[in-house]
Amino acid sequence: MTNQEHEPLPDEERREFSAETGSLWRLTLTPLTWAMHLVLCYATISLACARQLFPVEVARLGLIGASVLALGFICWQGWRAVRQWNVLTTGVLTHPNGKAEDRHRFLGHAATLIAVISAIGTVYTTLPLLLLEGCR
Amino acid sequence: MIFRKPTPIRRPAPEGPYPPTRAMLDEPVPERLRAVQAARLRKAWESPKGWRYWSAVNNTEVGKWYTVTAFFFMLCAGLLALLIRLQLAVPENELVPADRFNQLFTMHGSAMMFLFAVPIFEAISILLLPGLLGARDIPFPRLSAFGYWCFLIGGVFVLGSVLFDAAPRAGWFMYPPLATEDEGPGSDIWLLGLSFIEVASIAAAVELIVGVLKCRPPGMRVNLMPLYAWYVLVVGGMILFAFPPLIAGDFLFELERSFDWPFFDPERGGDPMLWQHLFWIFGHPEVYIVFLPSIAIAAMIVPTVAQRPILGYSWIVLSAVGTGFLSFGLWVHHMYTTGLPAMSLGFFSAASEAVVIPTGVQIFAFLATLIAGRIRMILPMLWIAGALAIFTAGGLTGIMLALAPFDFQAHDTYFIVAHLHYTLFGGMVLPVIAGIYYFYPFITKKMLSERLGRRAFWLIFIGFNITFLPMHYTGLMGMPRRVFTYPEGLGWEIPNLISSLGAAVIAAGFAVFLWDLIRSKGDQPQIERNPWNAGTLEWAHDVPEENWGMRSIPHVTTRYPLWDTPGFLDRVDTGRFYLPDAPEGRRETLVTSVIDAEPVLVQRVNTPTWITHLAAIFAGGAFIFPTFHLYTPAIVSGLLAVAAILWWLWTSTAWPPEADSKDAGLGLRLPIYVSGPDSVGWWAVWITMLGDATAFASLTFGFFFYWTAQPDFPPSEALHAGAGTVGLACAGFAAGWALTVAARQMNRHACVGMARAGLALAALATAGGIAAMIVAVRPLDPTSHVYPAVIWALAVWICAHAATGIIMQLYCLAGSLFGKLTPRYDADLWNISLFWHFFMLSALVACALMGPAARML
Amino acid sequence: MIAVLVMAGTLCHLAGSGAMIQSRPPETTALDIPGPVPTERPQGPRCIRQRILASVLLLAGCEGPQSALVPAGVDAQALHLLFTTMLGGAIVLWLLMNGFIYWFSHRHPAAFSEIAARWLIVLGGVVTPAIMVGALLVWGLTLLPDQRIAGNGLRIRVHGEQWWWRVAYQPPGTSGPIISANEIRLPAGRRTEFILTSDRVIHSFWIPALGGKMDMFPGRETRMSLQPETPGRYRGQCAEFCGASHAWMAFEAVVMPPEEFDAWLKAEAKDARPPQQDSARKGQQIFRREGCGACHTLRGTEAVAQVGPDLTHIGNRHSIGAGRLGATLDDIALWVRHTGDLKPEVHMPAFPHLEPAELRDLASYLKGLK
Repeated sequence: MTNQEHEPLPDEERREFSAETGSLWRLTLTPLTWAMHLVLCYATISLACARQLFPVEVARLGLIGASVLALGFICWQGWRAVRQWNVLTTGVLTHPNGKAEDRHRFLGHAATLIAVISAIGTVYTTLPLLLLEGCR
Repeated sequence: MIFRKPTPIRRPAPEGPYPPTRAMLDEPVPERLRAVQAARLRKAWESPKGWRYWSAVNNTEVGKWYTVTAFFFMLCAGLLALLIRLQLAVPENELVPADRFNQLFTMHGSAMMFLFAVPIFEAISILLLPGLLGARDIPFPRLSAFGYWCFLIGGVFVLGSVLFDAAPRAGWFMYPPLATEDEGPGSDIWLLGLSFIEVASIAAAVELIVGVLKCRPPGMRVNLMPLYAWYVLVVGGMILFAFPPLIAGDFLFELERSFDWPFFDPERGGDPMLWQHLFWIFGHPEVYIVFLPSIAIAAMIVPTVAQRPILGYSWIVLSAVGTGFLSFGLWVHHMYTTGLPAMSLGFFSAASEAVVIPTGVQIFAFLATLIAGRIRMILPMLWIAGALAIFTAGGLTGIMLALAPFDFQAHDTYFIVAHLHYTLFGGMVLPVIAGIYYFYPFITKKMLSERLGRRAFWLIFIGFNITFLPMHYTGLMGMPRRVFTYPEGLGWEIPNLISSLGAAVIAAGFAVFLWDLIRSKGDQPQIERNPWNAGTLEWAHDVPEENWGMRSIPHVTTRYPLWDTPGFLDRVDTGRFYLPDAPEGRRETLVTSVIDAEPVLVQRVNTPTWITHLAAIFAGGAFIFPTFHLYTPAIVSGLLAVAAILWWLWTSTAWPPEADSKDAGLGLRLPIYVSGPDSVGWWAVWITMLGDATAFASLTFGFFFYWTAQPDFPPSEALHAGAGTVGLACAGFAAGWALTVAARQMNRHACVGMARAGLALAALATAGGIAAMIVAVRPLDPTSHVYPAVIWALAVWICAHAATGIIMQLYCLAGSLFGKLTPRYDADLWNISLFWHFFMLSALVACALMGPAARML
Repeated sequence: MIAVLVMAGTLCHLAGSGAMIQSRPPETTALDIPGPVPTERPQGPRCIRQRILASVLLLAGCEGPQSALVPAGVDAQALHLLFTTMLGGAIVLWLLMNGFIYWFSHRHPAAFSEIAARWLIVLGGVVTPAIMVGALLVWGLTLLPDQRIAGNGLRIRVHGEQWWWRVAYQPPGTSGPIISANEIRLPAGRRTEFILTSDRVIHSFWIPALGGKMDMFPGRETRMSLQPETPGRYRGQCAEFCGASHAWMAFEAVVMPPEEFDAWLKAEAKDARPPQQDSARKGQQIFRREGCGACHTLRGTEAVAQVGPDLTHIGNRHSIGAGRLGATLDDIALWVRHTGDLKPEVHMPAFPHLEPAELRDLASYLKGLK
């Protein structure tokens, strides 16, 4: 917070942490995974129970598999975000400065946290699949 | 045919040093130059005087009107609540008859949600955002003025119906078949009036999102944004995805009411559950749309109170984004008792519990900031503290209710009424009042009374708990919601009486607050500039007030420039930073890049006008006439609205500027006109179309919902839309799309003649597509069964969009003919091709559903 | 400041909710009727005073014929336990959170280092809620199927109308359903399944003392089951807003010992009893003259219409007008004369032209239909 104005950034830093147009979207990747998983679960169970396209037990097993995949993907994205956050090597927790590197790590930090939330959400969504059965 | 070799036209890029060096910032601005610049700037931003004042479009004026109007609607809705409490004070009361009572609670809920909770977010954001971002104005001032006038007209229309005993009376959730079968105009007033306001809400959301993404001051990278801006971004996004399902639902609902298309009529294959899904896919995010902005206000007040930077900035950002997402996975918890399979309930129970975590993180980040700093118990903080105490109680009952089995008992009882008021008072009303106390000096340059403020707080806080705490108990004692009276002997008398007395105390509190707001403060001296000693940009405002927003647009390097950067205010005031001058006498603000806020463009923003009023009045007519089944005036009014909007766009947007680029200060030369992704208009279209696509997706969801829920959908002997004609329609739209995109490319390469021909042909092809689609669905009778009705609804949606597409193509053609659109200045063409990309996608999906999918499923 | 605030909030919280925990219901014996059932209007100030006193006692307690806080069935009991546990937890958490902020902002300001405060966000915002809420979720999910176990015995079809209930009992092993209306009788100790439908708009079927609610849709069947334990009279009510008289769409749920229930059901299956006394015979003539049979059924007579509630055994019911009034002769007379006043927009017309004597005769005829 006691940040002073800085001189123009060296080109090197600019390149290393170049404007990541994609990284705002990357923030949304893990919660989107959670959302897709939820929609998939809901739609599959509806199709099994209301439309009776396939037996509900098959649907349940398939969805448990999908949960594992979703969790795996979230963990992988979370790990990428941790690397971008780079807290382990730098030990820096906050990113309140106007440098490209700060912005880069900040986005990594936020993406890490949101991956954690998405993982918890996905685990919660999986619980009914494990605890309940049938269409009633 | 001979193609000329493409000769791309040079487009200016920003030139000059960026970011500015210390030396450049330290260089003084000559005294005389300063005065001259300030005078010119003041003139450019002057508000119109006298009766012309109402033609203003500046965010400070429109924001003020918007806030006052929303607040007024809140007071009206509060009065309705008082009547409700009066009726329920004693059992078998005969004060308010059943029908009136049903109107009262329907309008109380609807008005609080649609006329207060969402609009007040937009109002406050329009008012504050430019200040928070050091911008001069929001990117589309006329759009926000248009939105405001729509809101005013729609709000007065909807709320006014109470006075004529004609108000909607089927509950704010408007469940069919009760609402579809309801006689009289009530339901239509709700559907059409509020749809009108929803459209205005989406317009404001688009504007705010673009404002946050593109109008930040140079240097304000995403990690430096004030938290309020993050919340605006998230909430804007949520509005974009939450409102369209409701609009799609309204569309189906009104088609059923006006033309008897049986979407929700079980006797003809319809299903009332579809409405519940569409309504709550909107309705639950809505709760968070209401809640998050208030948290955002708290996020601005808390650091000021603790006199230290917020702790856990990234955590709060993550929570905002996370809550935004999770809130879309909760909707079924309003439908726990509809008999869905247990497993389905389980998924939504899980999601409803998961949302506790991001919400908790936000609260704990505030707690952490407060306990790590030294709290000054200023008045706004008192309200925030009260809000936290109330909100945590509401949150805890929320955790209970998220469990489906407990909800089986509590659902639709006064327990829910208590819970939702705890969350909404704690999560919305009190923080908003805190915000009013906090930002009042920013807006009016006067202070509100400390003494009255404390009195109002304690009255409202205590009154609130007296009113709503017993309701938990009343609900568990078995009292359902929405009953106009109740018998004695069920143990409900005393708690209801207490609640009614408490309501009177709340009302007294609001009366004190209102008095504080409206009492004359003429003799009070103007405030000092930064009365709370806050660190964020908005407190660099000018006292006495200036209309220009910021004397010069600063280069920002920290989250709290007023605390961290020495000499910052001086540089702003002397015009050391960007755009200190208005040599052409035009209103201008700076557009920057999305992630790192590097300067991109000097954006010319619009000046006062009456055309927005005309557009709003005619658009209002198009929505209001159909409530009385006056379809011809509605169509005329709609056409006039389109004409007014075209006139507005034609006369005031995207004209070639007098020069390619201009000096923006600090040695930086920026373009004045850009097209495509660098421009704010392109982003606005992109975001709008995202919302439009969501509405269309909701319609297709409807199709698949019927297919899932009904064993015979489509009915085995159903008449389908003609396969050949649907294919033809698809081909027509595809040709329209391809020619439009090609015209853009040719125009860019200076093949103007070909571009014009392309646009003309594109319009023709699209018209052909519309004709083919009409022929395709003509044989189907939409009143006979829900299947033909759905096919017709898709066709109506696609044809209306195609017609809009034709208007756009002709608009660009005219632009090219009259010199508004040239190979160099082609923003309009970029924007319409973006529309066409989205439209093409939905046309493809619709044709696939009407043709092959309907036959195969 | 915060101190007062916390105190105020806490006290309120405890006062309101603590009462609910403390007053676990006294053990009720068979046929012990919990709480007064509304039958007659109070007369005179003394009666009002008594009522107020009774209400105060009710507030302190949790008893009431429609209370979810005095469970009388297996399902309601499970939910009650879930609720009281969560309530206890919620109060503790609320006090902890708000006490915490008060303590460290007023008593020990700036006692927290930045690092400790960061840990607070991690532990308080993520770890603790994730574990607690997760555990709660598991509990809630395991309760979910219990509320929907299919009954293997009696089934009752309930069909929602504006604003009353069609009821059809289908005991196992019988052919046709036994039709009734506006009152539901259940055998104690057995699980009964409800098949719920509705006529024009959505209603919701709810007997708080016995368990949760379930919506009733036109054109769609929903199911739920209940296992009442304590015999007695309870009140049920429509919970989904269903139009003008939503507030007056209630019914009585009578839980009976199984043997009594079986006997009652056997009687309920019989045709209507012919009138015994003179006045009742006159009442029957009025019933015919006024065309009541155009809407109502009296099995075994020429009245077979099904527009309104089946009245074959209305004399046995504890309330009329879907829980609107008690079932005394006066109540019946009042109802017939003032339907629209008692129940706004009700479909049954009022019969204001009937003389008081005629009304009394009609009432005694109906009351005799046991």
